[in-house]
This record gives sequence, structure tokens and C-alpha cells, in this order.
Amino acid sequence: MAFTLRWTGMTTFLATETRVQLHEWLAIGTGSLVQAALLVFVWVLDPTLLPLTVIGAMVYSVFLIGQRVLNEAAYIRIDHKLNELYHASPMSPESYFLGMSMGILIAYTPPLVVLFVILEFLYPMSLAAVGMLILALLAVWAFSSSLGYYISTLFTDMKTIWPYSSLLTNLFGIVPPVFFPLSLLTEHVAWAWVPALLVPTSSATALVEAVAGMPEMGGLTTTQYLVAGGSLALEAALMLLFGIYWARRTAREA
Amino acid sequence: MTEEALRAVDVRKTYHTRGAPAVEALRGVSLSLRKGERISLLGRNGAGKTTFLRIASTLLVPTSGTVEVFGHDVVGHPEQVRPLVAVVPQEGKPFFHLTPREQIYAYLRARGIDRESARARVDEALAQMGIQEVADRLSITLSGGQKQRAMVATIIATEAPLLFLDEPTIGMDPFARRGVWDSLRRLTNKGCTVLLTTHYLDEAEALSQRLYVVEGGRVLVEGTADAIKQQVGGTLKVSIPNGAALREELSTFGQIVSDGGTVYVITGPERINEIMSLAMKDRLAATVGPVTLEEAFLQIVGRSIDQDEG
Repeated sequence: MAFTLRWTGMTTFLATETRVQLHEWLAIGTGSLVQAALLVFVWVLDPTLLPLTVIGAMVYSVFLIGQRVLNEAAYIRIDHKLNELYHASPMSPESYFLGMSMGILIAYTPPLVVLFVILEFLYPMSLAAVGMLILALLAVWAFSSSLGYYISTLFTDMKTIWPYSSLLTNLFGIVPPVFFPLSLLTEHVAWAWVPALLVPTSSATALVEAVAGMPEMGGLTTTQYLVAGGSLALEAALMLLFGIYWARRTAREA
Repeated sequence: MTEEALRAVDVRKTYHTRGAPAVEALRGVSLSLRKGERISLLGRNGAGKTTFLRIASTLLVPTSGTVEVFGHDVVGHPEQVRPLVAVVPQEGKPFFHLTPREQIYAYLRARGIDRESARARVDEALAQMGIQEVADRLSITLSGGQKQRAMVATIIATEAPLLFLDEPTIGMDPFARRGVWDSLRRLTNKGCTVLLTTHYLDEAEALSQRLYVVEGGRVLVEGTADAIKQQVGGTLKVSIPNGAALREELSTFGQIVSDGGTVYVITGPERINEIMSLAMKDRLAATVGPVTLEEAFLQIVGRSIDQDEG
């Protein structure tokens, strides 16, 4: 089968999802609480790390969008069965998946803008660094949304899904060096940069911090740049393609 | 498009779940719908109605057999089938954080219907379902019946050539149900075809030109409501409370069904006088009424269950 994308209905579904999410403004607000709390901790403990933590908070926030896709896709399917309305229609499965993911991204953009303003206030970045930040965030969004959508299709009960959502958030957002500099990790375990830069969230954070030239980060070697950039781009692209494939496959149960 | 809206031949579906025995949900269902028909699938819970609807609407792959919608194979060419169908899923709910008006409009636009037509159809569907007054309230604030009406309105607004409705009037009050019936009649008059499942046999009778009774994944009977009622041995039912003592004598007049102390005789109009005389002789009250579709359904399905268990 040729991998041709069909976009029927995507912009409408994107707008629908954005509207649905904006009605749940409280969830958008509470989705930023962990990041805000960590920023306060870092501000109290070591304010020099604050710009770096803000970048981590932005990456983490975008990763959470994927978890929001997980919950929304599962909720629509299990609780409302609205996926059946859309799958038995001219709207393509990839439009359903991408429309939902982009709609949630748009709805969750305001907290990101706030974090960006704080970052620019604390550490004005070059155009190249801002470009890197946007690219890195988009890559994390593609990876996380696709992963979230995939996992959402594996379960038939919302309660079963919640622990996985929490596990992923901690595995990708808290454990790897997202909120703290990579150099803190490599000080103790020299080779730890390899697995850290293979994880999309920490590779995204490291790339942005390195391009922005944040001194606390310690910079990246050429090899580290290649590993971080290569793995992030590859993982995001492969995961997005898999997400589209999976959306098509699961539009119809076997 | 062909005049045959849907044609299913020997459709089978077996569900395999890890750690559980395989379940044969469909065991060779064949049926057909002509363009413009309203057809009901009747059956007990788990009879296979929803499975069939999901296969026909491209949401589920059959284990074997073929289903064609307007000549397009639902397995081989789902992308050609999908623009032609619309589905009200069983126990489906609207987006809670959209109003019914927003939900219907968004769905029509997602199906590629232009803005102007979509707006006109939204108003029409809301009016037909009698939910104009709550059209601009978030669906989360609506009653269960109103939410269900919003779901049905979303689908009827599509005016898709073939509509599948899985228990569309569940939770609706009698007025709302009749509103759905009128809308479906209007749609089929325009040329749409409707296949629905329902547990309300009065609804099936009032709405459907033909019925399929499904049990254990097979079609037991197909025909008009009257033809199905004929299959139980008569068109009239005589109810005789406390008539157990007459059971043997009454059995010569037709089919006997007992329910508690009441004996029912299913028979034709030509035997009524004899039965009434017999009841009066024993000073028993007797009332005559038509055989209902529900009684016919219970008999047909009950017979099938007895045979399977036997």
C-alpha cells in the first residue's frame, strides 16, 4: 500500500479538539503545576540553573501533550465511542490522529508561551537557539503524541490506562536530564550521556541548551551533537510514521 | 450507485481473546437492503446485531463472508464505503464540551460538507430531534435522552445514503422516539437507506418495512412484521386467566403458551367463537387481542434456544 496521506476533515477535527480542550481550561492550568513547582525549587536552591530548568519545563510540557493525547483518544473511544462516528466517515484515520494531536498542541500552547516569555526574560536567546527550541519541541510532540495514541488503543478500560500515563511521564520527563543539566549526570557516571541523549526528551533539552550556549550545561561535543540530533530526529520521524500507520490500522478492528 | 444498498453473504465473525474461549458472534448472516428501505435487526443481547452493524460500517473485519455497500466491498475498499455511510454507535455520547449545534456542525464539516449546507442541516436536524432549546448548551449539561438525541441528530444531518443506527432511541421518552421515527421516515423518503437495531419491538414494527430476527449469530426469520407474526401460528391471541385446567382442550384450537396461571391460545379468527364458548362454559373470563411482534419474537427466539439446548 502506498503511504499516501489523506487529509480529509483534519482541520475541522483539529478545531474541534482545540475547542474541546479549551473548555477544559482547568486541566491546561493544572498540567503546568509540576513544572511551576520545580521552577520554584530551583529558584530557591540554585537560581543560576533557572533558565535551563525553564527549557526543561517546556520540553516536559510538550511531552505531557502526548499523555493528553493518550487520555483523550482513549476517552473518546472507550467512553463516548465517537471514534466510530469519525472512522465510519470520509475523514481519514490519519486526519483523526493528527487532528487530535495538533488540536491538543494548540490548546496547550498558552502555558508554553508563558514559559518562553520567562525564558527570554531570564536568558535572551539567539534566533538559532529559538529555532532549535521550536524544532526540538515539535520533535518531542511528534514522538509523544504518537506514543500516546498508540498506547490509547491497547486498552478497553480507562482505569487501566492511568498508571501507564504516569509511568511514561516519569520515565521520559523526570528521570532523564530534562529538568537538570546533563553535566550533573556525567559528573557521576561518565558514559551516562549516551542513554541520556538517546531519550527524546533529554536529547531535545540538551540540544536547545547547547545551541543557546548555556554555561551550566557544559556544552556538547560534536559526537554528542550528532547522537542527540540524530536520535531525536529519527525517533520523532519513525514514531510519527508509526502513529499514522497505527491510526490507519486501528480505524478498523481485526 | 446500485439499487441494492447493502448485500451481505454468509458473514461470519469469531472473536479471539487471549485466555478466553473463542466466541462465534456471527455464524453465516446473509441479508440485503434495497435503496430507500428501513430495516430492523432484532435479537437478544449478544445475538450479533452490533457485530454485523460494525462490519457493514467498515469498523470491524469479518472472519469470512462478504458485505457490499452500494456495490463496494467493505473489506477491500473501505475508503469507498465510508463516504456512503454514517453510524450511531450503541451507547455513544456526544463531546461533552461541545454544544449539540457545535458537534453536528463540526461533524458535517469533517465529512466535507460545505459551511452553508452544514449550517442549514444543523438547524434542520436540531428541529427534527426537538432539541433546539438546548442546542447551545454544553452537552455535559443535557439529560441522557437529550444527549442521545444529539447523537442521532449528528447522524441524520449527514443524509448519508446508508445509515446504521445501533439502538438509536435508547433512553428517549416516547415523544422523542417518535421524533426519531419521523426523521428516519423522512430520510428514507428522500432515498436514504436505514438499518437499525432495537429492543423496542413497537419501534421495529412502526418503523421497519422488513425485519430480521437474529439469534446466536444467525438470521432466524426475515420478513414484514405481519409475516413474522403469522409464523407463530395465528394472528389472534386469546388470554384465559386461571385456564390451566382447559389447557389440553384448548390445544386443539391453536398454539398454547402459559404464563403464570394464564393460558394464551394463538389462533386464527375462525376459531375464536369455539374458544370463547369453552371458556364461558367453565365460567372463565377470556379476552381476545392481536398477536404482538414481541410475542412472535419471544416464540421464534425461544424455539431456537430450545432447539440449541436440545
